[in-house]
Parts: sequence; structure tokens; C-alpha cells
Amino acid sequence: MPIIEAKGLTKTYRVFQKKDGLLGALKGLYRREYKTVRAVDEVSFTIEPGEMVAFLGPNGAGKTTTLKMLSGLIYPTSGSARVLDFTPWDRQDAFRRQFALVMGQKNQLWWDLPASDSFELHREIYSLPAAQFNATLNELTELLGVQKLTKQAVRELSLGERMKMELIAALLHQPRLLLLDEPTIGLDVVAQVAIQKCLKEYHARRGVTILLTSHYMRDVEALCSRVLVITHGKLLYDGELSGLTERFGDEKIVKLEFAEGTPDDLARFGEVTRTDEFTADLKVERVKIAEILGAILDRHAVADLSVQDPPLEQVIARVFQEGKDAHDAA
Amino acid sequence: MSSATRYFRLIGSLGRYALARELSFRGNFLAKVSVEVLWLGILLAFYRTIFARTSSIAEWSEPQYLFFVGCFFALNGLIETLFLENCDGFAELVRTGDLDFLLLKPIDEQFLITCRRVDWSTAPNVVMGAAVMVLSLWQMHWAFEPARIVAFFVSFACGVMIAYCFMLMLTSVSVWMVRNQGLMEMWWLFSSLARYPKEIFSHTWADPIGRFFTYILPILLVVNVPSQAMVRILDWRMVGFTLLATIVLFWVSRKFFQKALRSYRSASS
Repeated sequence: MPIIEAKGLTKTYRVFQKKDGLLGALKGLYRREYKTVRAVDEVSFTIEPGEMVAFLGPNGAGKTTTLKMLSGLIYPTSGSARVLDFTPWDRQDAFRRQFALVMGQKNQLWWDLPASDSFELHREIYSLPAAQFNATLNELTELLGVQKLTKQAVRELSLGERMKMELIAALLHQPRLLLLDEPTIGLDVVAQVAIQKCLKEYHARRGVTILLTSHYMRDVEALCSRVLVITHGKLLYDGELSGLTERFGDEKIVKLEFAEGTPDDLARFGEVTRTDEFTADLKVERVKIAEILGAILDRHAVADLSVQDPPLEQVIARVFQEGKDAHDAA
Repeated sequence: MSSATRYFRLIGSLGRYALARELSFRGNFLAKVSVEVLWLGILLAFYRTIFARTSSIAEWSEPQYLFFVGCFFALNGLIETLFLENCDGFAELVRTGDLDFLLLKPIDEQFLITCRRVDWSTAPNVVMGAAVMVLSLWQMHWAFEPARIVAFFVSFACGVMIAYCFMLMLTSVSVWMVRNQGLMEMWWLFSSLARYPKEIFSHTWADPIGRFFTYILPILLVVNVPSQAMVRILDWRMVGFTLLATIVLFWVSRKFFQKALRSYRSASS
């Protein structure tokens, strides 16, 4: 049975349209104009237990709104969802005990107190047995390397350390489902890698299901094999990460090394994205790759070559752009 | 562990952490306590000046009125300690979206939102109010009557709950308004009404106002009924009505709060 099942999930908002200037503000006192925004539009998907799925989309695409509906924070305008076999927006205690939501831009720990106090309060709220709580806390602090920081006031921790504490707080009750909304936003590379490593390790140990949104493709590549792509509230793609490149990446990068120096007629084969004395990178249409490689090898002395997919960021940017164009055209 | 025990334990833990947090800002804590002590001193000095020129205010003798003031101070202090900061901060939770984390916890949302922080700086008001009440009883040579004590504690608890219910309804509006700076003003109006004996509304034109705030919006029951029961006339019908009003108000305010939460949109991240 799927751990998450969303069917035609839709959320619309009425947004007040403020008019410019004082006169506009005064008019707004007696007559207000609203615009209906379709933040999430008929989104359907399922996630099986133990999966790690990335939810990708540009800002305002509807990722966070979907996560908030799945966690029961907001009610959908239409559609239905079953999460852990509950209707999330009923917000039953038995449901809330089994999942956690981490938001990279928000802080749920008591700001002026050590994280350990927030963890203790968490234990009380979730009625966790002391032995289980201590064992999980030790495991997580060790995994994230923050054993010595739990007694320090949260406000005195760095952003990366704070995020690690947030993650610990979210995992203390051993949720079966972890919803992560940009957990590495604003973090340096070292902290990002530490969070990724922890999530990977924790997933391997506990088999927790993870649904992650992130703008960092490194997070996605490191953690998820399946992705959901959403733009303008509509689900554009649901499938393997590798399939995303095949479906939307219609170009390949050819890296060439020449034995007798880089020739100056490379532009005829494709778009030259980088060049120096002996090497060059070419962007070539996927369907013409064999033909073009044959032509280059016929004409020039090639010492080495490799064919690569374009970086995931470029593919994603292209997907988002296509989604925007389709939305604008409609 | 039973549900009630769990919630009592949680109140204890929340209170403990709030005290630890408060004491880490010692100067701020002491300043707030000093202001409250000063405020009570001014209030007592003011009534002492009035009673130097008259023997009663609205049929209340000086010791009886002193008891009334002590009761108001203790009750108001209890509400401010337990609920005011939480309710006042609710609009900010809605505006910033930090309410999300409270709604995710497997616990009654109303409890967590309205009781999560104990404001210890106003807790001394409860003790000071109690001391003023004891002093007034001593001054009037109050004869021990268990029935009056029972009626007092029941109606005092109801008074706290009535005030809490009004505060909850006022704060719930924040979900639709997002900015709700009027809460503190409304609370000030509420406490201004509650702090005087209802007999001040006995004149012809004021009588309907008094009835309105007794039977429709029962703000005047909050301090009047426990004080009356203890030092003036013990009217069990009024105590019963206060209890009934509390139950009805609690039900209405809880439904209103839940309806407000259904409209919560959560700020974007």
C-alpha cells in the first residue's frame, strides 16, 4: 500500500490585489479586488514505503503548498490524499506521531534555550519512553557529529549546526515519513554534505520514506532516484532521475582532446562551450551524436573523447522554462 | 499515562523551560516584576485616598473593596501568566507561518498554542493579589465559612476560564486578519470592565450596559461573582449561572478557534 497517495490535489487562494498609492489604499477599505491563484492544480502521485523522492520546481511552483497539504497544515480546495493511511488534514494524533516536516527556512527549536531542552520537551509531547529517546538522541547526535553542541543555546549555533539540531528534533520520534522542505538552503557545502550523509545513512538504517524539495541538484543527485517535477501547480514529470535527462535533455556534451591542437572549424559540428590549446567542449543534439562524432574523427586526430549528459541544473532549468512557456501560452 | 496527567506534566515542563528562558534575561525579568509591584501600589494608594473621603463605593465597604481589588489582581495575574503572551503572539505565528510547527505536534492545538509559554514575570501578581485578599479578610474579621470558600474557588476558576475564552476568540480572528494589534486594546477594555463592581452600572441609563455585560457578554461575572461570594452575599444561583456561562463560552470559543484553524493558509516559505 502506498505511504502517500494524492489524487487531483488542488489548492486555490484568493489574493488581495492592492492598488498603488494612498487613494488606492483608501478605495481598498470599502471595495477590494481579489485574484484567484491556483497554487496546486490537480496533482496526483503515489509514493511507496521506503522511497526517497525529490520534489522539484521553481519558486512558487506549488511544492511547499503540496507538502503542507500532505502534512495536514492546510486544507485542499479539492482532491483527496491518504498519507500513512490517514486523511492528513484531519490531523489525528496517531497520524502526527508518524511523520515529521523539516523546513529549512524555519526554526522550531526554542531560540534562547539549549537544543537539549527542546528535545526534552519533544519527548514529553510525543510521550517517548526515556530509553528509546536517549538511544535515538545518541544515534542522531553521533551521526551528525554534534554531541558537544546540544547544551549550547540555539541562538548561538551556526546555521549549519542549527539545521542539524532541527533534523534531530524531527527524527527523535522515529517517523515513518519525513517531509523535507529545502533542508540545506543557505548552508555551506560541508554542512550540505553532512546533512545528505545523515539522511542517506538514516534511510539505510530505518527505511524511512523521504519526500524532499530542494533547489540544490547535489541534494537530489545524492539522495533520490525518483523525481516529481511541478511547475505552475501542475505535475510535469514523475519518474526516474535519469529519465529526466533523456526526456528533457535533448543535447549531449562532447569533451574532446586533440593530439595536434584544437582545430578552428569546431563550430560546424555544434555549439562550442569551452576551448583551449588542446581541448574543447561541444554541445551537440542528442539525435546527431553518432554522425557528428564520426565526422570529427574523420577530419581530426582525436587523442581522447567522452560524451556526457548536460548538468542536471541545465536540464531542470529547461524543464522549468518549458513549463513556464506552456503556462504562458495557455 | 492518562491524558490529563500527560497535559499536567506538559504544563509543568513548559513552565520550567519558560522560567529557565526568563531567568537568562534577569534584568528584563526584574524590570517587569518591579512595574507590576508599582502598579499595585498605585492602585491601592488611589483607593485609600478615595476611602479617606467616603465609607463605601457602590455599596462596597473599604475592606470588601480591597478584597475585590486583590481578587482582580490575582485573577488578571493568572491570566497574564498563563495565556496573554501566547494569545498575543498568535497573530505573529500566523503571519510568519511558525504556527505550522505547533499544528504538527500530536497534541491538542488549542492547548499548545495558548499554554506553550508561561510569563513568569506576571506570576508575582497572583501572590500579591492573594496577599491583598487575605489582608482584607483580616481587616473585616471574616468568619470562616466553607461554603463561601467553595463558591469562591469555583467562581474564581470560572472567571479565569471566561477571560480565557474571550481572549481565545479575540486571538482566533488573527487567522483572517493576519495582523491583530487590536487584541491588546480589546484585552485592556475587557480588564477595565472586569475591574469594577457591577453596581456601578445600577443607574438608569447604565443598567442595560450592566445587564449586557453580565448576561450576554459576561465580563462582569469574572471578578464580581467570586468577590461577592466571599465577602458579600453568597448567591448560589449566580455561581451556577457563572458555571453555565463558562461551559457555554468554552464550547463556543473552542468551536470558533477550530473554525479559524481550518482557514489557516500558512505563510509561504
